[in-house]
Amino acid sequence: MHVDEFLDPKILIVSGKGGVGKTTVAAALALVAARHGRKVCMAEIDRKGSLPKLFGGGEVTYEPRELSPGVWGLNIIPEDALAEYLRVQYHMSRISRVFRSTHFVDYITTAAPGLKDILVLGKIWYLEQDRDHGGGAHGFDTIIVDAPAAGHMATFLKAPQGLADAVRVGPVRRQSEWLDEMLTDPKRSRVHLVTLPEEMPVGETLETSTVLENDLGISQGPVFANAVYSRLLTDEETDEFEAIAADGKIDELCDVAKTAGIKLDNDDLDALQGYAHFLKVRRGIQSDHLKKLRRGTTQPVMELPFLFSAGLALPDIDTLADVIEEQMESL
Amino acid sequence: MSATHRVNPITEIVDHKEIVVCAGSGGVGKTTTAAAIALQAALDGKKVAVLTIDPAKRLAASLGLKELTNEPSKVAKRKFTTAGLEMNGELWALMLDTKTTFDEVVTRYAPGPEQAERILENRFYRNISSTLSGTQEYMAMEKLYELYAGSDYDIIVIDTPPTRNALDFLDAPRRLTDFFESRVLRWFLMPYMKAGGGIFKVANVAATTFLRVVKRIIGGDVLEDTAEFFTSLEGMYDGFKERAREVSALLQSDATSFVIVTSPGEDSVMEATFFAARLNEAGLPFGALIVNRVHPRLGDGVDVKPRQLVKLEKLDGQGRLLAKLIDNEEAFMRVVRLEEKNLDALARKIPKHRWIRVPYLEQEAVDFQGLSQIANHLFEA
Repeated sequence: MHVDEFLDPKILIVSGKGGVGKTTVAAALALVAARHGRKVCMAEIDRKGSLPKLFGGGEVTYEPRELSPGVWGLNIIPEDALAEYLRVQYHMSRISRVFRSTHFVDYITTAAPGLKDILVLGKIWYLEQDRDHGGGAHGFDTIIVDAPAAGHMATFLKAPQGLADAVRVGPVRRQSEWLDEMLTDPKRSRVHLVTLPEEMPVGETLETSTVLENDLGISQGPVFANAVYSRLLTDEETDEFEAIAADGKIDELCDVAKTAGIKLDNDDLDALQGYAHFLKVRRGIQSDHLKKLRRGTTQPVMELPFLFSAGLALPDIDTLADVIEEQMESL
Repeated sequence: MSATHRVNPITEIVDHKEIVVCAGSGGVGKTTTAAAIALQAALDGKKVAVLTIDPAKRLAASLGLKELTNEPSKVAKRKFTTAGLEMNGELWALMLDTKTTFDEVVTRYAPGPEQAERILENRFYRNISSTLSGTQEYMAMEKLYELYAGSDYDIIVIDTPPTRNALDFLDAPRRLTDFFESRVLRWFLMPYMKAGGGIFKVANVAATTFLRVVKRIIGGDVLEDTAEFFTSLEGMYDGFKERAREVSALLQSDATSFVIVTSPGEDSVMEATFFAARLNEAGLPFGALIVNRVHPRLGDGVDVKPRQLVKLEKLDGQGRLLAKLIDNEEAFMRVVRLEEKNLDALARKIPKHRWIRVPYLEQEAVDFQGLSQIANHLFEA
């Protein structure tokens, strides 16, 4: 698949269970899009996420800010979204201050669940439509949404349908229909689920995927399986090494090392064997879950490597973007 | 004091405490840790209840939780025998059901059955358990208190909800009672609050304008539901507050111990540090830190220069094999060093004699054998 085809829907929604590296994957997708000349907006939802740290610090607020060339970030806070909505739709900015100074949004969203989600989706709609609300249009080509954790995902995306059911007439009804159209049109929105090759995340991902497909009719793209131990060593190589050790021929390996000027003592050899074994065992567990994931989903699975790095930073995101582009071609 | 032998912090907690709260950020193995602690305590002869929030399906199945509800059920003895474990006590398990727990709380504190009924049927109330943040945390605390006060367990181990913030549940009872009591809300909803027979209209211009806008956006019935909910709650606030105070006192007492669960990743280490500080501030007893999923350190790192590695790669067969082994070892050592750096930062905040490290295990802890393997690490001297 060509990158342009992959980036055809303007809105890419990235979701997954907490701790699976959702933001990292969203950032890598953003880099892919930016590399291909798109102006990208990464939207976090109502939280202080790890996005700024990935891009070297600062804060991400409701007002989009350029984080790295071509990649912008914003934090969609429901209170701010409500204020913008009231300002744009009803020309009321004074009253919106009252909303923010009280817990009003909390009360009202409890009374009318899904309203918070609607406000967030409404902001995404504004970004997609790219209307000028006074601050100038942004002209984003791609909007990557770092969506709520998978458990809340279905509720989040179902909110417009729910609101349309509850409100029979008037502007709000019309607006909730617009949002629903935005989400269910495969040319406009697509969801990517992120998971880890582990028991709980895979189970939850498959459940969410089924709900998206059967209940919500929202288009999905490849599922990302994150932090897969890469094949620095194949199982066969590990076995070969273990056989050499079992035959008592480890000295031969030490001699080979010596010709390259490397001195290996017994501790070194133990470490080499230990990590080879560790990799094999962990990957064994991971591949069981990857199999389950592939069997359970109708989507292609993209494996992203475990990063053996000294701390997650932009170069690592770059590496992931490379891997994604590579796998995109074979889709 | 040099001759005193080191006591394992988890053993100490299980021997002396009645409540163990496992807390930490999401995805660090909190539920598994809670289950492993509970299992070991039960194997050793105690009557144990473990309150889980959202267990993995296979773990829930091994605990017999598939068919379970909000009330504790005893895990059948044969399940342990099958797993080759000797059970000397009792293990009871339950899974928190926020909605049911909340219903029970309402029924308990409502002045009469009619008022309880009115609240339970209110739409605003029905949405609370699924949408209002803090509800799950509050109900976990309620359930804990109920288990503690109403039964004879030797020890109760609880898992905490996967909040964005590991310490949200500490504030949840207070936040929720504040929410119910909000004066600002009352002021706004005044025109909707029923006084006597009809709707009481006050000449409150700001509130009325405000309500007009809200009504236009979300509809009047939503406001009526909200107002009705808060009206029906009248007279129940003292009960809520009293209970929140009791739960809070229980958590601060000698009977309780908090176990912080973390992974060696930077984010969870930061969260653990922050959480330890908060416990301290709030006067809550910290018991142990469990560091899960640690990449093992095997050796001090092979001393190889890049050009030597290139040379080795060029040698066929065994040379290339060796080069790949070294590459693999170097990759893991980078991770090990990073994790050690993160953990060193943590050691400056939480003394190491309170730590237990649990390495990656060769099998996943989704059954009693797996749990007991983890327990072996946790309880090892």
